[in-house]
Amino acid sequence: MFRKILIANRGEIAVRILRACRELGIKSVSVYSEVDRASLHVRLADEAYLIGPAASRESYLRIDRLMDVAKKSGCDALHPGYGFLAENAALPRACADAGITFIGPSAEAMEAMGSKTAGKQLARRAEVPTVPGTSDPIENPEEAQALAQSMGYPVLLKAIAGGGGKGMRVVPNDAAFASAWRDAASEALNAFGDQRVFLEKYLVGPRHIEIQILADAHGRCVSLGERECSVQRRHQKVVEEAPSPVVTPELRRKMGDAAVRLGRAGGYVNAGTVEFLVDANLNFYFLEVNTRLQVEHPVTEQVTGLDLVKLQIAIAAGHRLPFAWETITPRGHAMEVRLYAEDPDNNFFPSPGKIISRHAPTGPGIRLDEGVYEGWTVPMDYDPLLGKLIAWGNSREETIARLRRALDEYTIMGIRTNVSLFRRILTDPEFLRGEIHTKWLDELLARPHPPVPPPRAGTEQAALIAAALWHSAQSNTSTPGSTEVQATPSRWKMEGRRQQMDHMP
Amino acid sequence: MKFEIQLTGAGGKRKHVVELEQKGEVRTVALDGQPIDADAVQIAPNAISVMIGGQSFEIHVSRSTDGTLKLQCGPHEFSADIIDPRAWRGRKHGAVEVEGRQEILAPMPGKVVRVLAAVGDTVEAGQGLLVVEAMKMQNEIRSPKSGKVERLLVKEGQNVNAGEVLAWVE
Repeated sequence: MFRKILIANRGEIAVRILRACRELGIKSVSVYSEVDRASLHVRLADEAYLIGPAASRESYLRIDRLMDVAKKSGCDALHPGYGFLAENAALPRACADAGITFIGPSAEAMEAMGSKTAGKQLARRAEVPTVPGTSDPIENPEEAQALAQSMGYPVLLKAIAGGGGKGMRVVPNDAAFASAWRDAASEALNAFGDQRVFLEKYLVGPRHIEIQILADAHGRCVSLGERECSVQRRHQKVVEEAPSPVVTPELRRKMGDAAVRLGRAGGYVNAGTVEFLVDANLNFYFLEVNTRLQVEHPVTEQVTGLDLVKLQIAIAAGHRLPFAWETITPRGHAMEVRLYAEDPDNNFFPSPGKIISRHAPTGPGIRLDEGVYEGWTVPMDYDPLLGKLIAWGNSREETIARLRRALDEYTIMGIRTNVSLFRRILTDPEFLRGEIHTKWLDELLARPHPPVPPPRAGTEQAALIAAALWHSAQSNTSTPGSTEVQATPSRWKMEGRRQQMDHMP
Repeated sequence: MKFEIQLTGAGGKRKHVVELEQKGEVRTVALDGQPIDADAVQIAPNAISVMIGGQSFEIHVSRSTDGTLKLQCGPHEFSADIIDPRAWRGRKHGAVEVEGRQEILAPMPGKVVRVLAAVGDTVEAGQGLLVVEAMKMQNEIRSPKSGKVERLLVKEGQNVNAGEVLAWVE
């Protein structure tokens, strides 16, 4: 087993990893930028080193500085978390050169599976169903249009270099093809400097369901079941759950088989996620592979009872997976919401700032993976994810009730958060019936807000009394309006000290 | 003590009078002139537990950058403007001229691009103290009262967070 692990990340995931290290008796080393000195992942680490200014490309994305810290502090392994360098093959290569174990797949497996087109080619070889379409870019628009006609509309044009919805066009019918082609190519050229596009069948109202796989270095590759991540806002997952409300044991086995075949074909070792789109007839199509730990991994942990980060570390240390995947069936139901410092009433604009007060929910079935604390200032330089609130219960209904209860207990003041968005999602009749798809949330948000139920009688009076009491308590302190200002030292105390100093020989 | 509070919530905006009296261990509360069976305890620096006739409420309070109080009770939010009895003197043109030492807070995260006053300067209400740039917009931060600049806690070029204290005017 390793002695010391470098955590090349920040925020809640860095905290998550260092907690696993602590439970395993492994020392953890954090890195931080200039604005993260007081961050939780620095406070909780055994050792922490400054790696540069706030901008990620000058700090968290600097492989050379990470390697310096790893060598200087004597780390024998590195965990990349998710985001930042987690899917950059240069990081495992640099680790290999420095004689440090990378906790994740090899650089080769990352490249063979991580990119959209390479992953799709691999999926075809492993006989994993893919969305009908081309895996290579098409140069000739006429050829592409003929293909679209044979495939049947609607079709999707996608930039080869694309991501985040840029360079994507849905073509509803043949008449719209020529102009959509021009738009997609020019948008791709402007956004990525690469105008090549490929073509695929556009699924109407698909679900996003992904399979968590784990593979050890001794040839065992297992599936830990699915996560349903269909609730997305502009291609960003917002709510995730396991198991999916539509996946049957039979479909779970079929999707798990496909994901494991793909992992084997790519020579994959460590934790990875195979993402699928699932249509209304429960046909599933390969989407892409995430060659890292996912943000939403806790829902799988809650229904399997496994600790994925510890298993990642064990696999990287060369251990064998201690179970066969036939033994893994989901128990109960788990659901996660991603808490962001953003304002849902103002177009989800980021809302960094100081957390003046915070009350975290606790109690049965509640897990909170956070990277924040009261008094901390959420920096404006990074992704505004504060943490993840996860609930689990015997049924989907109980899990949702627990999550709603926990969201009512969760109070954070000083910054805006997206908590009200979850109150809306978790009471929506379609969501409660599990009738969701990848465009569902965008459609929900386009509809007018349902009326918020009025507060119970007495709430306004209570607010008035609280306002008066809080105001009078604040006014009685020496500095009105705030308790944060450092008071000037007491002159009595200063004089006392001065007198004592005078008596010293 | 008597407070005039303008409360804004989902139900609209209304002005109320809250009277809090502490007689030994007992606190009496009156709302709009009517005594009510209520008790309030500050349970944390920014949280207050209120009981009204056996109904329990927990209210989280913070002061926003413009001085109004933000109140949160579960999913419900209110804002409150308080007219302090000690500040009732010196109203001008119907507006409230604040009394006592005032903290000047940054209204948004940004960068101090200019400091317009020095410690010891006498300033008028509405006079510019600093300029803070946020999202490519320059915002002049003005003095809420006439008085003297007691402290300046930031320098030109410094980054500030929303709610950070920039200066004191006494």
